[in-house]
Amino acid sequence: MKQLTLFKSSLIALALASSSASFAESFAITHATVHTVTAQGVLENATVVVENGKVIAINPETINADSIIDAKGKILTPGLIGSMNQLGLVEVSAVSRSRDASDKKANITFDASLAFNPRSTVIPYSRKGGITSNVVAPRGGDDMFKGQTFVADLSGEFDSVRMNNNSVVIDLGAKSKGSRALSLQNLQFKFEDAVKELAKANKKTKNAKDEKEAKEPSREAQVINALLAGEKALVAYADRATDLLALLKMKEQFSLDLVLVGAADAVLIADKIADAKVPVVMTALDNLPGSFDALHVSLENAAKLTQAGVSVALTVNGDTHNLYQLRFHVGNAIANGLSRDTALASVTANVAKAFNLDSGTIAVGKTADLVLWSADPFELSTKVSQMWIDGKEYSTQSRQDALRARYTTPSDMPKAYIK
Amino acid sequence: MQKFLPSLVMAALSVALTGCLQSEQQDEKVVINKNPYPSTYKALPLETTLIKNATVLTGTGSRMENADVLMIDGKINKIGNNLSAEGAVEIDANGKWITPGIIDVHSHLGVYPSPSVESHSDGNEMSSPNTSEVWAEHSVWPQDPGFQKARAGGITTLQILPGSANLFGGRGVTLRNVPSETMQGMKFPAAPYGLKMACGENPKRVYGARKELPSTRMGNMAGYRMAWAEATEYKRAWEKYDADYAAGKNPAAPKRDIELDTLKGVLDGDILIHNHCYKAEEMAMMIDLGKEFNYQSGTFHHAIEAYKIADTLAENGNCAAMWPDWWGFKMEAYDMVHENAAIVDAVKNSCAIIHSDSASTIQRLNQEAGKVMYRANENGFDIAPELAITWITANAAQSLGLADKTGSLEMGKNADVVIWNQNPFSVYAQAEQVFVDGAKVYDRFDEKYQAKSDFMLGQREGE
Repeated sequence: MKQLTLFKSSLIALALASSSASFAESFAITHATVHTVTAQGVLENATVVVENGKVIAINPETINADSIIDAKGKILTPGLIGSMNQLGLVEVSAVSRSRDASDKKANITFDASLAFNPRSTVIPYSRKGGITSNVVAPRGGDDMFKGQTFVADLSGEFDSVRMNNNSVVIDLGAKSKGSRALSLQNLQFKFEDAVKELAKANKKTKNAKDEKEAKEPSREAQVINALLAGEKALVAYADRATDLLALLKMKEQFSLDLVLVGAADAVLIADKIADAKVPVVMTALDNLPGSFDALHVSLENAAKLTQAGVSVALTVNGDTHNLYQLRFHVGNAIANGLSRDTALASVTANVAKAFNLDSGTIAVGKTADLVLWSADPFELSTKVSQMWIDGKEYSTQSRQDALRARYTTPSDMPKAYIK
Repeated sequence: MQKFLPSLVMAALSVALTGCLQSEQQDEKVVINKNPYPSTYKALPLETTLIKNATVLTGTGSRMENADVLMIDGKINKIGNNLSAEGAVEIDANGKWITPGIIDVHSHLGVYPSPSVESHSDGNEMSSPNTSEVWAEHSVWPQDPGFQKARAGGITTLQILPGSANLFGGRGVTLRNVPSETMQGMKFPAAPYGLKMACGENPKRVYGARKELPSTRMGNMAGYRMAWAEATEYKRAWEKYDADYAAGKNPAAPKRDIELDTLKGVLDGDILIHNHCYKAEEMAMMIDLGKEFNYQSGTFHHAIEAYKIADTLAENGNCAAMWPDWWGFKMEAYDMVHENAAIVDAVKNSCAIIHSDSASTIQRLNQEAGKVMYRANENGFDIAPELAITWITANAAQSLGLADKTGSLEMGKNADVVIWNQNPFSVYAQAEQVFVDGAKVYDRFDEKYQAKSDFMLGQREGE
């Protein structure tokens, strides 16, 4: 197909735009191998047009854009989406005054997005991994509810929180003190009581002579009600099969939007999880029995769950600073049986679906979070060539590059003079 | 003549005294057994094996194409093209890559095993800033399933170290990665012991919180210096005892001190220093500390800022064992650069190592080294696979004092060999077969060579 290229503005404007593509209102990426992560699959030699932060056209007959980026056959994917970490809430894990992910008193209403720091050095560093947005999970405190997740892009801009309070995090399973049973029981009671309260409130409202009699539920109760209404997902850390089954049962009873995290034993009940259409957020590299709850972890679990029909989202365990490694985890999952298409979905579309995000695919109307890769996105030797968040280009340069440059530059003067 | 009498008397007396001493009954010489928990390791059943037509990274900096590797009696017998050997088991490795067995200088397998239950948390005796008296080998649980997983990642040799809460954490032990019911059954024969030391945040945090020394970095230094000063006296006392005994005297042996035995072992050159140390200024001081007390300051582990003093490390013969990308978990890990190992390696006489300190990444040290190579090459370096492999083989062997035994594919060295399905620096690379001392210990495609820990037996469905 012969494409006709039209330019909105003059050549001078184009030159300016291409020298700092981030100011372009619209741009087209041409000759790309586009992994859409939609039913369209992979489009060879394709064009993607972006305007005002959205993808506005894929393979249009005529390209109408301020600037053109020739991908020269390179792979274009949706930006990868991290999840269930503390990006932007922790600068240095062991420096207490640089940490905002937890608070002893935190409860189900805990909104850690208020502490999100877009200027954290971990953010530009994580862009090296092609990560364009991230679901941040608070760590809470003593309560079994750890607070609510929020979604932030990795632009480093002050408006990077895209959505707050979008799901509720709960930590279940093995306990150092006490019994896991009590947590499950309390959760069940909370839902049962809330259902009763809602019914009572409905009755009251019907019978009420004036609206004053209808009391507003507490903030905690409002969150539980939002879970019952399916307005927020319940994101549950749990590993042992019995805990996962208990959660599936609650999902059915209360029509919850459930997401399982960790889920070491998920392979034992993969069919049930698939039937319940519950996504699993897991790490690809866990293969050691860290506890008696996690005897079934294996490098092949991502592949096995996928084959059983479970929607798998991959994440990086441990420290937030390792989020950039996400694509290498995906590569390892592929080496252990995950299909390449599913593998990409596991860090894009599947994450978006689990957390109700408007990203994770390359499709008309979607947020233009895009990454152009030097080669296979999951291979160690590959790097990000270019990346866009909300249609704006961002660099992958970080503080680490400045340090390297300083210490590899010969000088007679102390290194401190090299900037 | 009379005037000479007194001196004659003196002479006679002194002869008599000496004679008396010479004829004095000597108590049995007190000799400290330096190897009270000796290795019982024996190579697994082995055959003469010829691996054919592979790309071979020798660990000495060379790469050979279509090369064959011949293993006889547990040793590398020959590497070359078109080799043949009568009666040898032949393995066609066309399209595959061969490297020396991978060595991790920093592991806590067995001492912080899986599952990480309280009962098995035996990796750090955090009861005193100086626990030179503890030996990691006495904590090793050989049934840690992590050993099997590491083997599937090509690990043939690993040093198990105590944790880093103390200034002196105790002795490390180097193991062969073979299954055994006992630690002794895994112990690398004739490998020197290591002594774990730790700089920086950990010791001062742990003991500072208890209002004990050290609570500062200067407290750390004071703690090391006081210990080395005492060890120097201890060593002198034993040397005097040995000398006096050799002179025929019957001296009383110094009081045995298990803690000082270890420090003396370092001063004697028998035990190698493995120093958890992140920061440039601290590593430079630890090097001077070694000079002050006349021992070699050894290998710096983690060494996040090694790139800032790469010249100093090479000049003083220090190895640096590093991660490719861990950072930010504490202040001393804030200045990480991906190219750390490459910058260290670029200096002449350097010794750059990639280590894991993790039951997970020990399974992928090949990928860890690969990350450094590729990031460095994106930024002006020109590092080939044959060089990068030395970071997890030959240089690691040097750090452990085993350079004459393992770490490279050279005639006469232990036949520790990994066959990879492809270039080991790919994210898709997998070890297919692993040999320790010429014996196959792992085969990805043959269950017969896939060992399983007692702990995992009967735990999982369908296995």
